[in-house]
Amino acid sequence: MNEIVLQAEKLAAGYGRHKNVLSDVSFEVRRGEMVGLIGPNGAGKSTLLKTLRGILDPRAGSVLLNGRDAATMTSREFALEVAYLQQNVEIAFGYSVREIVTTGRYPHLEWWEKEGPADERIVDACMEYTGVRDLAHRSVDMISGGQRQRVLLAKVLAQQTPLLFLDEPATGLDIFYQEEIFRFCRELCAQGKTVLMVIHELSLAAKFCSRLMLVGDHRIVADGKPEEVMTSEYLSRCYGVPVRVVRNPLTGTAEVFAEPPPDDGQRAALLHAILGNGEDEK
Amino acid sequence: MKIGRIPPKVFFLLMAAVFVLVALLSMSWGQIDIPFKNIVALFCQYAGLPFFADVVVTPEQEAVLFHIRLPRTLVGLMVGAGLGASGTVMQGIFSNPLADPGIIGVSSGAAVGAVAAIAFGLSEVSLFALPICALVGSLAAVTLTVFLAMRHGKIPMMTLLLSGVVVGMMLGAVTAGILTVISEQKLQQYLFWTIGGLDYRRWEHVAMGAGPILLGAAVMILMARHLNILVLGDVEAKAVGMPVAKYRLGMMTIASLVTATGVCISGNIGFVGLVVPHMMRLIVGPDHRLLLPASLLAGGAFLVFCDTVGRVIAAPMEVRVGIMTAFIGTPYFLWLLRRAHNVMR
Repeated sequence: MNEIVLQAEKLAAGYGRHKNVLSDVSFEVRRGEMVGLIGPNGAGKSTLLKTLRGILDPRAGSVLLNGRDAATMTSREFALEVAYLQQNVEIAFGYSVREIVTTGRYPHLEWWEKEGPADERIVDACMEYTGVRDLAHRSVDMISGGQRQRVLLAKVLAQQTPLLFLDEPATGLDIFYQEEIFRFCRELCAQGKTVLMVIHELSLAAKFCSRLMLVGDHRIVADGKPEEVMTSEYLSRCYGVPVRVVRNPLTGTAEVFAEPPPDDGQRAALLHAILGNGEDEK
Repeated sequence: MKIGRIPPKVFFLLMAAVFVLVALLSMSWGQIDIPFKNIVALFCQYAGLPFFADVVVTPEQEAVLFHIRLPRTLVGLMVGAGLGASGTVMQGIFSNPLADPGIIGVSSGAAVGAVAAIAFGLSEVSLFALPICALVGSLAAVTLTVFLAMRHGKIPMMTLLLSGVVVGMMLGAVTAGILTVISEQKLQQYLFWTIGGLDYRRWEHVAMGAGPILLGAAVMILMARHLNILVLGDVEAKAVGMPVAKYRLGMMTIASLVTATGVCISGNIGFVGLVVPHMMRLIVGPDHRLLLPASLLAGGAFLVFCDTVGRVIAAPMEVRVGIMTAFIGTPYFLWLLRRAHNVMR
């Protein structure tokens, strides 16, 4: 088994004066794992990722990177260990694709240095890998959502970190582009990188990840291989709706369906009101 | 770099040429015209270079050039360059093309300092009194703004913006309060100061501004790559390993200091810090390694150009440069915006 690269110990996280979003979260991640964080909206998947990355200070507990306490690391040392792709990045002033990917080289440079030929080569390679090299001089404001995510992925790769934290890297993309992003990640993990990503598409998560963590109810409800985590029982409990998991005989992967809630007879009346054919109408 | 634009090298050569040309124009035009040749000849003679030795320069021309036009031009170039560069930095820090150092209280603080200096008669005691009071005022205002916005060693941008607005309003009220009780003549003096101008700028002003502005500009250019990262916002900058608060505070301090110095030696000159960076961004793109030097050159050239035009347009009366910048800048800016809009479609 590979060595442990990331450890969370009794981690608690939250915002401002509100109560904890997560508490007492502990787990270990080994090199080469592709971990998908799944769970209902608002369960704290992104919060967990932000806290692990140090964007949000942990309220309690600690994060260890290769056995070293993240709280003792400088911003730069942290950025050499973990790259982070945030949700909905807004980029002001219309920077070009190449300029954005180049920002990934920032932690590798001393403050007075500028990017050298070696950095240029890495940037080129990352753009080539995610298929955005042709767009190098286009402004990031003027490319499609799918291209944009691949640009941001290239930026994260240019950082050349052993760990990658990706917050919904594929959300909002066409299914083919989503799968492409996941395939990139799986390939990278096979080469020894470790990826932690927040995923909404349960079927895709089951198909591509080597491990899933189901976040809900302020903690990690289930953690393990996709087939262990993706069960009707866990998902129904977490998402609060009846969920059925079916193994697709063609692809061999799990597929997830929500069952409609039982009709208590009120819905017809509500629909009636919404559609505006009430009886008391004149 | 943006696509379909002029290559940076060509652009900078062009800008440098414009910079020098504008400086020469400013030294040449005025109530007494001094031909370019005479100006160059004078410089050569002073530098001990064996060119243009045959050109005869009258003592009057020499006096006008060295005591009036040269310091005025130098102050203009410096202040303009400083305002252009610090405007660029502020727009970068706030990731907002509408930001300028004014929004964190630089100008309102300077106004309070200036009006205080005038009200207490300090401005009559020494030439330096008003600039120094203005400088102290603006730095105090910026410090107050930052202090109000600071939370646990972090400075949220929205809070900073709001506290800048609040501090600006409060200081505006203080200024207004003082203005209502001072004499007509002092009122006039303040009014004159608020409309920034380069007239009667002397070598003392050059000396006052040179240190902070040149040093500040050098640091800003040195930090241009970091500004590129800062522009992407807190999370993104932190994700690539930047100690965000430290850099942001540092950059903001330098930009404020440079602007404050500019404001205190030539009064409030709006528009340059806001529009020059915007113009340059449309031309050279958002990379601060190109944008900052471009704004520096363009700011200096633009301010001196406006001043020169203001001097000759209604001679023998002078239109102050603070008025000219708006008159010349607005149409050009609108034209640029419209053009940029068309290109984007």
